[in-house]
Amino acid sequence: MDRPAGPVTARRQPPRRRLQAPGPQLTPVTHSATIACPACGRRFVADRYAAELYVCSGCGHHQRVGAAQRIAQLADADSVETLQFDIAERDPLQFDDGVPYTDRLARARERTGLDEAFEVARATIEGMPVVLACMDFAFLGGSLGSAAGEIFARACEDAVSERRALVAVCTSGGARMQEGIASLAQMARCSVGVSMVSKAGLPYISVLGDPCFGGVTASFAVQADVILAEPGARIGFAGGRVIEQATHDKLPDGFQTSEFLLAHGMLDAVVDRRNLRDTIATLLGLYSRPT
Amino acid sequence: MSTSTETTDREQAAFAAVELARHPARPRALEVIGVAFDDWTELRGDRLFGEDRAVVGGPARLGGRSVMVIGQEKGTDPMTRALHNFGMPHPEGYRKAQRLMRQAEKFAMPVICLVDTPAAYAGIGAEERGQAWAIAESLLCMLAVRTPTVSIVLSEGGSGGALALAVADRVLALENAVYTVAPPETCAAILYRDAGQRARAAAALRPGVDTAYDIGLVDELIPEPPPGAHAHADVVIGAIRGALIRHLNELEQIPLDALLEQRAERYRRAGG
Repeated sequence: MDRPAGPVTARRQPPRRRLQAPGPQLTPVTHSATIACPACGRRFVADRYAAELYVCSGCGHHQRVGAAQRIAQLADADSVETLQFDIAERDPLQFDDGVPYTDRLARARERTGLDEAFEVARATIEGMPVVLACMDFAFLGGSLGSAAGEIFARACEDAVSERRALVAVCTSGGARMQEGIASLAQMARCSVGVSMVSKAGLPYISVLGDPCFGGVTASFAVQADVILAEPGARIGFAGGRVIEQATHDKLPDGFQTSEFLLAHGMLDAVVDRRNLRDTIATLLGLYSRPT
Repeated sequence: MSTSTETTDREQAAFAAVELARHPARPRALEVIGVAFDDWTELRGDRLFGEDRAVVGGPARLGGRSVMVIGQEKGTDPMTRALHNFGMPHPEGYRKAQRLMRQAEKFAMPVICLVDTPAAYAGIGAEERGQAWAIAESLLCMLAVRTPTVSIVLSEGGSGGALALAVADRVLALENAVYTVAPPETCAAILYRDAGQRARAAAALRPGVDTAYDIGLVDELIPEPPPGAHAHADVVIGAIRGALIRHLNELEQIPLDALLEQRAERYRRAGG
């Protein structure tokens, strides 16, 4: 429908003015404002909390962060070129369950300043070139619809054509129900993207944030060469509540947390967000081929 | 706003279509395998953890050639339904399917997948053993396997649990089947936080395979004589056999490199 006519265009940050940063602070903060850790209630000066990458220095809770913040946290300063793909809005089912899907999309765009649940940038990490594809849970629960799937596939193609490693930060409730079967197909589309990166011999590192479920986990999020996750992130295919209701089984302690999945052999490492950039940089160095 | 008990005619009709697709007398994978194929020999186990009876598979003959048949089996009576876990696979089922697909490639057998599942199983053990990982690997496996592949949605194609066996060169479906991102019950629980509003979700989801056909995820709908496949199993299985042979004959003319390129290109564009 809207494959790129020519090469993907890139432009320097900032691509557009954001109404407000997506993520934890949905109300504008001033210098003197404080933010409470949602887990332990400890209060922080907003600037200091941001400097700690929204990790509580008291209890270690990792607050959710938006795609733009992810890119800023991981990329070298001044290295970021946000990629704009100009992908048309999709509504294959003309979905309307009281609120038309197109209205929900418009509201999500207004609230987050994002076009879709994915933000993609070319950047460097410790000088090493990457394509960074970051999901934003604030945009309709980070759900994977066909526009988001197309963005991820194009990010993969950009990584291949530019010979860059792919780094994806995944946080999502799963497939976007409002696009029905078209959103299911995105699992296949994104898998094609990962296959292309893999065939090109480029490393793909995936970071799983809280939460990550459904068709996102069951496709590109875990198709990486190295799978990292943040501490305490809830990750799985079916949600814990769904499982409890369906099976009447009592869920084990820590079920579907990063630590649980690490113990079950599903992840390579659980990494504190404050060490994520260093860890990814080390991996990129190790996986880079001699030129 | 509608509630669990008040549904419109449109919602009732949409859910009736889902119920028709779930009719217990519709042909199941093992029945199709038994009637449409010869010499089927079941192979079991994923060689990693266990044996999942929700997915059955093994080599068989179809129209003079050996093929690898993999099917999701729902069972036909209370005992077999429980045995086959109502067609809801655990990770072992997907890993067994991958093992058989790799074997099919080795012996140049086309792969036939019979899709019939409400969804991949949601349970503690399934999560512990990496349900999402198994499905994600199955998607990559189907994209990469160097042999012609045909999938057919028999009755219910639900969620990634169905797609994991449906990323094929040709995807067929019986015309009264449904193919959805999630079962209407799950969709209602996600959208309305009330699984009881499944009829409302069914109407919004457009679960019929014609929707998947319209977006190009399904290539061909196999007609069912009224009132449906549940009343004419032999006729429908005969039609399935004919369609499978016709598509394999076509696919076998395409050099493997070109076939894999076409497959990648197709799913690169999947879902519009």
